[in-house]
Amino acid sequence: MLKTANQKIAVFLFLFSIFYLIMTFNLPSYPYVPVDSDVIPMGLGILLMILSAALYFVKEKSEASKEEHEKIPGKEKLMLLGVLGIILLYIFLLEPLGFILSTLLFIFGCSRLLGYKNYILNGVVSIIFPLVVYFAFTKGLQVALPSGILPF
Amino acid sequence: MDAIHGLMTGFQVALSLQGILFVLIGVMVGTIIGMIPGLGPITAIAVMIPITYGMSPSLALLLMAGVYYGAAYGGATSSILLNAPGVSEAVATTFDGYPLAQQGKAGKALAVAALSSFVGGTISVIILTFLAPTLAKVAVSFGPPEYFALMLMGLMAVASLGDGSTIKALITATLGFMVATIGIDGQTGTPRFTFGSVHLLEGIDFLVIALGLFALAEVSSLVLKRKEKVANQNPIGSLKLSKKEVKQITPTWARNSILGFLVGVLPGAGGTIASFMAYLTEKRIAKNPEAFGKGELRGVAAPESANNAASTGAFVPLLSLGIPGSGSTAVMLGALMVMGIQPGPLLITDHPDVFWGVIASMYIGNILLLLLNLPLIPYIAKVLKITRPLLISLIIVFCMIGVYGVSFSTFDLILLTVFGVLGFLMRLVNFPAAPFILAFILGDMIEQSFRQAMTISNGSVDIFFTRPVSLTFLILSLLVFLIPFFQMKRKQKKEKSMAA
Repeated sequence: MLKTANQKIAVFLFLFSIFYLIMTFNLPSYPYVPVDSDVIPMGLGILLMILSAALYFVKEKSEASKEEHEKIPGKEKLMLLGVLGIILLYIFLLEPLGFILSTLLFIFGCSRLLGYKNYILNGVVSIIFPLVVYFAFTKGLQVALPSGILPF
Repeated sequence: MDAIHGLMTGFQVALSLQGILFVLIGVMVGTIIGMIPGLGPITAIAVMIPITYGMSPSLALLLMAGVYYGAAYGGATSSILLNAPGVSEAVATTFDGYPLAQQGKAGKALAVAALSSFVGGTISVIILTFLAPTLAKVAVSFGPPEYFALMLMGLMAVASLGDGSTIKALITATLGFMVATIGIDGQTGTPRFTFGSVHLLEGIDFLVIALGLFALAEVSSLVLKRKEKVANQNPIGSLKLSKKEVKQITPTWARNSILGFLVGVLPGAGGTIASFMAYLTEKRIAKNPEAFGKGELRGVAAPESANNAASTGAFVPLLSLGIPGSGSTAVMLGALMVMGIQPGPLLITDHPDVFWGVIASMYIGNILLLLLNLPLIPYIAKVLKITRPLLISLIIVFCMIGVYGVSFSTFDLILLTVFGVLGFLMRLVNFPAAPFILAFILGDMIEQSFRQAMTISNGSVDIFFTRPVSLTFLILSLLVFLIPFFQMKRKQKKEKSMAA
């Protein structure tokens, strides 16, 4: 039943559209307008339902040849998850540690993780880039970035 | 002549010291980002948005427009030198550009590409100067039903004219529209799909989508390609063109600049389609079609003049109607709205400095790009050797700053990451992201104009069919929607006749 990637996605989208439609039915109504806030979402939910059914059944000519998409080797999958992890860590440390320190750690760590071995250049960029960006944004563009534990 | 007068106002903005500086920064950044395979113009514009915080809107738009057409220039360099197009607009340039580089004539190909981009960009900005204000005048009379029908047509066109599956494009457009409905409904004040979270009451910021779905997702693809060695480049060779060669290319430029412009104006089409059409037409009408694909200068000139003309043409609907016809102009529209400017037919009267400033900046930007590109090509090409791991980390940081600088909340950063993952997965299974961002940006406007129209008509849908302009747009959207089916039929017929 679920032979191709498209069919798996289609089933997922179909279930999602049902979930979405249920949510639209639960939207509170407002009697004084001709078109209430649930009309467009309802339309979108139904549209997605039809389209996901079409994705399941219709095989488009141009698709047939493209069906085989690139497989990502396991090692690279781990690498992507690693980058994702380090990004999340960066987000959680941004406010407590401050922009400069967390960015410094992020750039150095992320570049190293991706296989960059020139420690000196990496270190220099990781120190200079956050400093320049921080002062350019907070002083030049008046956009406040978190200062964290550093006094400036 | 209103246009000439307006253009003079524009040059006052664009020719100020700041103006020139920002155009210069824009085109440089655009050229560099456009050159890096995998990073496209949308990413280039999106990562520049944080830099424009606090800038005056006209200067900000100068910068962003510079990035946008700079990226169209830069795409050619990696197509020619590495056979790896930096942006999809530059794919057709590889057909003859790379063979030329292999013959040691990379310099010639790069020079033709730069000159073609200049000619394409300049011819189309001249047409834009006169067309955009005229169109804006017509569009002032549009009411909600017309806008609704027009935006619907734009969405349909992007879904069915884009490369790849129409169903997938329609699905991503629907999803983008769904994301646009999150937050408080502007008409009734009902919170929709917020799951009780205060963070979602104002809806999801467009930067979260643009940076996540494009910049972060493209960076993830770069992660996979980080080890690709930059191929040993052949010596670039002389940049000079002979008189005979210039004479041979001139008609190619003229034809394809106009073709590219027209394709760019149409919603949905844009640079990629324009460059392929240009290449194929040029090959078809050439006396020696067999030379194409083996290193024919016209094979570089045609797509390069067309894609730059198209990227300028795409400004026509954006500036005069306030409706983007492509993913990259949609991001530009979003950036303007962040600054509190709503492009549309009234832009030209309300903010003439922005409207004419952008147009004037295109004249200057094209000249700057030519001046920068011709002598500096060998040096700019070295950018391709920047170590990928460092580049990836820096771009991620830029995405984070971009989002944090508008919302000051880590919740939005998490959301950004979620959209980054979504964008990456969408690329894996060939779901196009451009319809998503376009529908996300247009979604709110489509819904509001639909409901306003329905309020005007007291709840009757007849209003869309009884007004001639809106009816025309609706019929056109139906026709665009049907194009892929006609194409499929034609292909089947062809295959049948081939088999027989």
